[in-house]
Amino acid sequence: MSGLFPGFLILSAAMFAIGAAGVLVRRNPIVVFMCIELMLNSANLALVTYARYTHTMAGQVFALIVIAVAASEVVVGLALITGVYRSGRRLDLDELSEMSE
Amino acid sequence: MSVVFGLAAVIAFMGALGVVLSQRTIYSAMSLVLNMVALAVLFLLLDAQFIAAVQIIVYAGAVMVLFVFIIALLSPGAEERLRSVELRLLLGGVGAVAFTLLIGRLTLNGITVGAHGRLHGALGPFSPVAVNAHGQVQTLGDQLFTTYLLPFEVTSLLLLVAAVGAVYLSRRRRQLA
Repeated sequence: MSGLFPGFLILSAAMFAIGAAGVLVRRNPIVVFMCIELMLNSANLALVTYARYTHTMAGQVFALIVIAVAASEVVVGLALITGVYRSGRRLDLDELSEMSE
Repeated sequence: MSVVFGLAAVIAFMGALGVVLSQRTIYSAMSLVLNMVALAVLFLLLDAQFIAAVQIIVYAGAVMVLFVFIIALLSPGAEERLRSVELRLLLGGVGAVAFTLLIGRLTLNGITVGAHGRLHGALGPFSPVAVNAHGQVQTLGDQLFTTYLLPFEVTSLLLLVAAVGAVYLSRRRRQLA
């Protein structure tokens, strides 16, 4: 079991990196939100791994809180996406640049 | 144990890749479900039964149903390919590999695992044996409602704000004008 500790952390790092790359590469806002979920999930994995191997409970408590934060973030984000869609714009992050002009 | 870890890790990794590389949004969502179920298995391996259950119920259940609803509602279809998409994917892949190596190097730096799966340094009182003797959910609940009461209450406030915000953002705009 002890040998798996680096494995969990490396999987967590790989998932975070894939999620971050997806946020930067993809242009569909729904997919970008899914990539953010991926990054939050990888953080959860790291938290629970450290909680297990340091014999503490804080990691699990904060993994629970991260799940709640992710849920509320998705709710607000998807409401924003439907709002953008309803205003007649295409769902493409490269084209949603009114605020930067 | 390590066989289960290897299987779940590979599935989680493939799911993560599928989220980013799928051309259709619904395939990305299905890959994310795969990734989350594999993560729940990993949480079970880490003696975090409650987190695994919450992961299935909240993420694979509620959050992904919301995602699939929105995909069905907006039906974005296939993302059109721009001429620079291969370059983007290449750069993203190189960046992801470099970032993984960097994080892996930094987190594993100075950490050595001794016998019986113990990290060197001071260990907390919540060893798997002690936690299982008291009950995993009981221990987590005790901690949540005593030591971590303030973050827990702030989370409830956050959920309230998110619910109000979602209702405000998604109502019809006619009343404003």
